[in-house]
Amino acid sequence: MKIAFPHMGNAYIPLKSLVEYMGVEAVVPERPNRRTLELGARHAPEFVCLPFKITLGDCMNALEGGADTMAMVCGMWACRFGYYAYVQHLILRDLGYEFDSLLIGREDWRAVFDKVRAAVGGRKVPRLAGAFAMLRAKARAVEELEVLARRLRPREEVPGSTDTLMEEYLEKLDRAASLRGVKELRLEQHEAMTALPLRPPNGTLRVRIVGELYVLLEPSLNFELVKRLGTQFGVEAQPVLSTYRWLLSSLWLDPLLHVSSSRARRATRAYLPYVLGGEEHMTIAGTLGAPDDGFDGVIHAYPLTCMPENICRTILPHITRENDIPLLDLCFDEHTSTVGTMTRLEAFIEMLRSRREKGSHSC
Amino acid sequence: MKIGIPRALMFYRYYPFLESFLEGCGCEVKPSPPTNLKVLGEGTDICVDDVCVAVKVLFGHVSQLAGRVDAVLIPRLVSVEKKGYDTFTCPKLIAAPDMIRYSFPGLPAPLEFVVDVSSMPWWWSCLRLARRLKLPLRGFPQVYGKAMRQQERFDGLLHRGLLPSEALAKMAGGNGSPPPAYLSQRDVTVAVVGHPYLLGDPIVNKRLVHWLDMSGARVLGSTMLGKEELDAEARTLPPLSWSYEKELMAAASLFLKRGDVDGVIYLTSFGCGPDSLVTEMVRRELKPAGGQVLLDLVLDEHSAESGVRTRAEAFVDLLRHRKRRCAGTGRVP
Repeated sequence: MKIAFPHMGNAYIPLKSLVEYMGVEAVVPERPNRRTLELGARHAPEFVCLPFKITLGDCMNALEGGADTMAMVCGMWACRFGYYAYVQHLILRDLGYEFDSLLIGREDWRAVFDKVRAAVGGRKVPRLAGAFAMLRAKARAVEELEVLARRLRPREEVPGSTDTLMEEYLEKLDRAASLRGVKELRLEQHEAMTALPLRPPNGTLRVRIVGELYVLLEPSLNFELVKRLGTQFGVEAQPVLSTYRWLLSSLWLDPLLHVSSSRARRATRAYLPYVLGGEEHMTIAGTLGAPDDGFDGVIHAYPLTCMPENICRTILPHITRENDIPLLDLCFDEHTSTVGTMTRLEAFIEMLRSRREKGSHSC
Repeated sequence: MKIGIPRALMFYRYYPFLESFLEGCGCEVKPSPPTNLKVLGEGTDICVDDVCVAVKVLFGHVSQLAGRVDAVLIPRLVSVEKKGYDTFTCPKLIAAPDMIRYSFPGLPAPLEFVVDVSSMPWWWSCLRLARRLKLPLRGFPQVYGKAMRQQERFDGLLHRGLLPSEALAKMAGGNGSPPPAYLSQRDVTVAVVGHPYLLGDPIVNKRLVHWLDMSGARVLGSTMLGKEELDAEARTLPPLSWSYEKELMAAASLFLKRGDVDGVIYLTSFGCGPDSLVTEMVRRELKPAGGQVLLDLVLDEHSAESGVRTRAEAFVDLLRHRKRRCAGTGRVP
């Protein structure tokens, strides 16, 4: 059994360790890029949302790379994401690929478990707990690294030094094979990152990014939005969602995430009393809380025709007007260009900067 | 009290019920006028740009009603059937009142009619609506029963093959009108599968049924299939938790199995979330039993009537050609 799963940001590091710890071989395809997207868009339905297209291309890359089992989370939700794997696997089979499907969430747990057990030879099931501990440890390490990097990027003295260091540690983390190793690495990375030389503080702009999960987390799709905002524009960008959140909250491995999630749901209720199945609660609550959390602006990023985010889009202008915080809509599809996105970002950041200056004069 | 009901989305499914119910409760009901290009344009202007055309039309109709009625009724369809698992409608139907509320800041908040059958029965939703309107509850059972009968009558008309718009016209008093031409027996039969709000609105579907009719085809709509029939068929298909899309998929499957149907048109609108995946499932999973042809027709607010007309005519020609070629040979087309 050679198992593969689509990419989402740095989620492949903890997921790969989960699979490998159980004794199954994992196939990690190349990081999604323009080519992946084009490949996926060629075979995907026309007006499905962008994550579908890019993960389809990703699956094709994985199958070319030798995977024989495709795993993906799916379910029966109001949001389209629940049906991704099912339809993608239909398309892939029609294209002539042969593989097993591991539809986590749609098939019942026992079926998934049995398949995995058959693959590892039936003996190694006690390692399951260890595997999840490993997933959790690595997810936390990745999260820490990402949070730190987002804060350091706009403040670093040597441009790009944070990212060089981050790449290095991500690689080390990917190779780490024991819980102890991950822990040591965490301490080491923290030390190394905080030791980076910084510029004197000069009032860095802070922007919150809300929107659809995949667009927020997959740098190849959002043109490395967070990284670019940091190094190129000198802005600290904090997305409301992270790989850590996505991985651990669905597995119930971190109760704190559920607390923040239900708090967000409560805040959203005044605007959207019913659950839509996407990340609409994080989008709305994130925008509502942005001024209080000290952000200068909000960027709303979502794929074209995304259902929950489009509904948020009708509500967000109202919230931002009430709370007096600027909002930038960034809609992504396979035709979105880097230049267009950068121009809009530049204008938005410029506006935030002048707003802040004006604000400080009037004080 | 004057209550406006926009002629969009669920209008084509539940209007007879709502009209009769609200009138029974002593309200005056005012539906918005039929869609025209101005309504469509207005909706497109107000609404965010990448949602499906049906939602944009809803915005246009609400703006038609704005200021002319005391309240605008917007159904909020969370779930429309009770199953062992979660069932939903499209997120845009779940959040339609919210979208309206924040897109028309000048208007009072729309009157919601919450349908959440998986957690409360239909009559409870009606009771809540009546309470919200501060209507007397004394005659509720009678009013409710009468409204149910109206809805049954409407469903009966749909079942006989009438499209939602014609059935509504007939309900409104056009009882003496002859049956529409598209129902008459012809040499080619085309089944159109699509949401009632696409099938029923000739401005949105650019008079697709009319053009099929003009090309000499008998037209069946997915609205004519009964609930039991669809439910039984849906059980043989991959599970979906979108109730309406499940219906459409079952309808497509039923039509593709029928010997008297030569071709199926699956009507979708650009940006319709569930349909983008369901069309893919229909295309890849359902196997036409008698060699029927399946055509996807995607509509949006820019669709031109000539485009739809050309495709309808070409489709009927194709079906007729196939049929004629296979007529003598005795094989399935």
